[in-house]
Amino acid sequence: MTPLLSVENLKTYFRTYRGLVKAVDGVSFDINEKEIIGLVGESGCGKSVSMLSILQLISNPPGEIVSGRVMFDGQDLLQYKSKSDAMSAIRGAKIAMIFQEPMTSLNPVLTIGRQLTESLEIHLNMTPQTAQERAIELLRMIGIPDAHNRLDAYPHQFSGGMRQRVMIAIAISCNPKILIADEPTTAVDVTTQAQLLELMQDMVNRFDTSLVIVTHNLGVVARYAERIYVMYSGRIVESGLADDIFLNPRHPYTIGLLKCVPQLGETRQERKLVPIKGLPPNLINMPTNCAFLPRCDRARDICRQQLWPPLELVGGQHYVACFREIMEKP
Amino acid sequence: MTNDANDDTQPVDIAKWSETAPRYSEIKRMISVFVGRPLPVIGLVIIVLLILVAIFAPLLAPDPPNQMEIINKLQQPSSEHWLGTDSLGRDTLSRIIFGSRTSLIIGISVTAISSIIGIVLGLLAAYFGGAIYHIIMRFMDALMAFPMLLLALLVASLLGAGMLNIIIALGIGMIAAPCRLMCGVVMSVKQNDYVLSARAMGMSNLRIMFQEILPNAFPPLLVLMTIGIGAVILAEAGLSFLGIGITPPTATWGGMVNDGYKFIMTNPVLAISPGVAIMLVVFGFNMLGDGLRDALDPKLRGVI
Repeated sequence: MTPLLSVENLKTYFRTYRGLVKAVDGVSFDINEKEIIGLVGESGCGKSVSMLSILQLISNPPGEIVSGRVMFDGQDLLQYKSKSDAMSAIRGAKIAMIFQEPMTSLNPVLTIGRQLTESLEIHLNMTPQTAQERAIELLRMIGIPDAHNRLDAYPHQFSGGMRQRVMIAIAISCNPKILIADEPTTAVDVTTQAQLLELMQDMVNRFDTSLVIVTHNLGVVARYAERIYVMYSGRIVESGLADDIFLNPRHPYTIGLLKCVPQLGETRQERKLVPIKGLPPNLINMPTNCAFLPRCDRARDICRQQLWPPLELVGGQHYVACFREIMEKP
Repeated sequence: MTNDANDDTQPVDIAKWSETAPRYSEIKRMISVFVGRPLPVIGLVIIVLLILVAIFAPLLAPDPPNQMEIINKLQQPSSEHWLGTDSLGRDTLSRIIFGSRTSLIIGISVTAISSIIGIVLGLLAAYFGGAIYHIIMRFMDALMAFPMLLLALLVASLLGAGMLNIIIALGIGMIAAPCRLMCGVVMSVKQNDYVLSARAMGMSNLRIMFQEILPNAFPPLLVLMTIGIGAVILAEAGLSFLGIGITPPTATWGGMVNDGYKFIMTNPVLAISPGVAIMLVVFGFNMLGDGLRDALDPKLRGVI
């Protein structure tokens, strides 16, 4: 089965006064149809940039997609010009995106109804009448009571959780093939997080959409994602099915991440939470060997002598970029 | 999804729900801030009066503005001519009343032209950035390097006097301020997530600029435009005073000051009364602008 969207060797660099920032440095991943994918990594590891690169939403300057291919529907999306009509026809209609901040992602001067109907009118050529009916239907689906009257409300009359639901409704409104949720639950409280994730799962099931959840919260992806990609300083260090990652993590970074998450039913005596020592490397001055090396407690001589370890298959769909694992490959 | 949120079958008690969350009207708040202080209201009253006077000038004026009674020239104020007559025997009050039309037409049309051009250029510069930004903004810098009156003088002397030419001359001179303001506001507005969201939803640049960004950038411009009308009226009076403004015999306040100042020792009312009219109207627009700024600025919410 060919994947719905396939990103190959994507490199997005930012030219800053202090030097070249390799925010995304050779990232490849696939998204299959109707699949929920988790993209995990700490702040500044290039998760958001790689997602924005897919839709060419990186502002240039300072950002530039240096190389790579984004294959979607037999077309390389990076061949389109960022401001071309062809690209605009993909955005929202085929690949939609939700952002982190629900408080600022809706335009404060336009009504909820207008913001919902707008993309319907653009992408699906609906008349204002049918778009309005569709908007009411969408508001009902995301659980906004009194949907008919709420169309005339402005974003400031909605709570953060409600706004993020509206964002989900807008994103899903044109029936996209892929929904990218860029840290959709970071800015809302835990109860709302759960509701939003349930809602997203419900919506993508209903519309046969693939979902990419970008997050630094392993708990979020644990429950929903089928496959997980772990990113570290601009590269993917481990990928595999959710079970592979959670039950059998192979990369020291993934292991470290899981060690610092508390688990239910654990007492303090049983296990202490272990933080990952040190800080992520400065992306301007990247080491040529494994970027995780300075923080790695399992480093070996080969790690210091060789360049970045390549991502290699270690069984099933499980890939790891770590010399230790590659050498001990079963 | 939790049950209570997704359950559409359960009817929502709308009456009760809206009772607990009263709709909060931003417009009402703005009006109360605006009306709550005396100066903006005085400004508004002056401007409303000016507009009424301009519209009903033929009914209000005791004489036609250009009717000359040479025998009655340079009269002091009397019951027949409330503000006296000028050197050609024209009734000063009537000319001030008709002069309000000139001032208002020029003030509004110049501000409209310069604001529209300035807004579009500022929006383009800030939205696209790069070379477009530099070309437009350096042009505006050059425009600002000339004093506005000097620039208007230059254009007016190139094009000649007359209402339309004055509008063009002042209109060009006034582009820089709205353009720069717009550029600055748009630069900050375009950083907002909803602009990125709109791009991610496949909106065209035009739509993003005019539908997403412009309404969010507009309040400071409204203030600038209001104060700008006052400035234009003053500039037009200045040009007419210098004799390169509106061609006589059309009644203009600046021209009347010019006619009257030669007789300042004998007939002070002749120069002072149009001067007072200019002052009042400019004051009115400035106060209105101040009041609008206070009402529209979210940072002053609760302070005033």
